[in-house]
Amino acid sequence: MRAQLVHLFAKEFRKRKKKSALITFAIAWGTLSILLLMSFGRGLGNAFRISFKGLGDNLIMVYRGQTSKDYQGLPKGRRIMIYPGDIALLSALIPEIGLISPESNDYFTITGGGRETNRNVCGVGPGFGVMRSMIAERGGRFINEEDERSARRVAFIGWNVAANLFGGENPVGRTIVVNRVPFTVVGVMKKKLQSSAYEGFDADHVYIPHATFSRIHTQLFIDRIHIQPKRPEDNQVVERRIRQILGRKYRFDPEDDYALGIWNTIEEVEVAGRVFKGIEIFLALIGGLTLLIGAVGVTNLMYALVKERTREIGIKMALGAKRRHIVLQFLLETAFIFSKGTFWGAAIAYTIVRLTRLVPISYEITGIQTYLLRPIFSLDILVVFLVVLGTLVFLSGIFPALRASRLNPIEALRYE
Amino acid sequence: MIEMKDIRKVYQMGKVSLEALKGISLRVEPGEFVSIMGPSGSGKSTLMNIIGCLDTPTGGSYFLEEKNVAGFNFDQLSSIRNQKIGFVFQNFNLLPYATAYENVELPMLFNGKPGKKRRQRVLELLEMVGLVDRQAHRPTELSGGEQQRVAIARALANDPSLILADEPTGNIDSKTGQEIMGLFVELQRQGRTILMVTHDMTIAAYSERTIRLLDGHLVEARQ
Ligand SMILES: Nc1ncnc2c1ncn2[C@@H]1O[C@H](COP(=O)(O)OP(=O)(O)OP(=O)(O)O)[C@@H](O)[C@H]1O
Ligand SMILES: [Mg+2]
Repeated sequence: MRAQLVHLFAKEFRKRKKKSALITFAIAWGTLSILLLMSFGRGLGNAFRISFKGLGDNLIMVYRGQTSKDYQGLPKGRRIMIYPGDIALLSALIPEIGLISPESNDYFTITGGGRETNRNVCGVGPGFGVMRSMIAERGGRFINEEDERSARRVAFIGWNVAANLFGGENPVGRTIVVNRVPFTVVGVMKKKLQSSAYEGFDADHVYIPHATFSRIHTQLFIDRIHIQPKRPEDNQVVERRIRQILGRKYRFDPEDDYALGIWNTIEEVEVAGRVFKGIEIFLALIGGLTLLIGAVGVTNLMYALVKERTREIGIKMALGAKRRHIVLQFLLETAFIFSKGTFWGAAIAYTIVRLTRLVPISYEITGIQTYLLRPIFSLDILVVFLVVLGTLVFLSGIFPALRASRLNPIEALRYE
Repeated sequence: MIEMKDIRKVYQMGKVSLEALKGISLRVEPGEFVSIMGPSGSGKSTLMNIIGCLDTPTGGSYFLEEKNVAGFNFDQLSSIRNQKIGFVFQNFNLLPYATAYENVELPMLFNGKPGKKRRQRVLELLEMVGLVDRQAHRPTELSGGEQQRVAIARALANDPSLILADEPTGNIDSKTGQEIMGLFVELQRQGRTILMVTHDMTIAAYSERTIRLLDGHLVEARQ
């Protein structure tokens, strides 16, 4: 198309700035709201996954339980305890297990840095840190194999404990006293998001080697076993094998769900993942329907924009405009309005997402804000959105444009 | 130039049909200046629109410069209007947002006359109608007579051989109307064929021949 003609179109377009501004605004608004909807929806799912990993990464937890079925002549209601020896047994018999660690805990008075506090002290194995997504702050470390083997008096402490006892000072290398036994702090936990917990959040705990725990505590059994399968898909197999092996050892029905408490977070994450995918699809659906309504509105506005220019179209036709000149003009206008509207909508949505992500979130409270303040603006969302909106806008522009070009010149000239 | 045989035009409005032209046969030679008169509703505009390829007849045959335009499609008719015909309307029909210059330029944009020649032609035409100094004015900033002169300049943009004017002086005072007629005489002198609808005898007097329409019939062809 000749540049001069485009120039004329542009001039005519500017003449109708106010009316087209309304359409541009409508498109920008639609773009903005749908992109935000999608971004926040995706951020929600993502925050959930991250914070769930804060409890544990592909974790299966085994607890003591109580039988609910009679088994081999034994009555129901028996308490089933688990013991340190079960760790070796399970890891020997279940090759699918990647990491395994016992955990026992109790509350103790702790002194350090001249202060005193009452904290949950957990005796855990070296694999525990990895399983529970605990990362040591720079200069520190988690409990290792040697600590466990030699029952060393070392401690890895949550960031809240560190702040409590030592304020801003670095606790690594300092001494804390647990139950009148001195421990050397070897590491402080880096802050992490954690959505679920039992007996308090990891930030408030003190971790020591399980072997050492056994020496300062009288209990013989263990409270929990943490297991991480080599491959997350094996979680069901591992769960079944645990019930079989421990069922044989402690004589309970492997089908008895209450004999052992098993918290299979992998399964839980999968289920929740589906829920969040569902939410995302639902939001996309809402967005799609909103867009459709918007497209109808845009079509209407485009029709109005065409209609009020009927006479001018008639004049142009009388002077020799071909159909394609008329169609092209309106398509160009639609394309321009569309680009402008989506550009502004997307730019504002992007800015809002970026600004929202700047809001600091607390690592202790895993409330709604954690999930709402980390929206994700993804390119794939934008691309899908642009394709859908582009199609709709094109459709909403092509019909008014075609109608304009089909006008009878005489009728058009006579239009008031 | 124009050769019409038994041209009919029926307007269908739902069940009611109205025959606006009831068999018009008309011949206009190249270079003629013909005026069309007749009472309101007699079919003058209908006839002009058919001659100008803005509308199609429901019957009869029409040859424009030996070409049967009956079989032409929209874009071909657009080309004819663009190249061969210049329209002058009673209500000027200038694009309101465009300047005098841009209005005159418009028909050339649709046939792609190169920029430099286009500019030359626009200025030449504005010069001819005496409005070079008004080239940047919008229609609302011009008087009725001036607007009609812009419209005449625009009609001449692609140097058409046929000028169709439906009551060109209908919306302007008689003194200005005389000036416009001066331009028409000049156009005829240049060898163009002119068809003009008018209600005004003094305006019709500028033409060489007047035809009369009455209720869809051509009743008289004088001179
Ligand atoms: N689009 C149309 N639909 C239906 N009837 C029409 C249409 N256009 C014109 N007519 C009718 O056709 C007849 C001729 O109309 P036309 O406009 O040709 O008259 P005219 O001679 O130009 O009148 P005037 O001097 O008032 O301009 C009139 O009766 C008119 O009502
Ligand atoms: Mg008329």
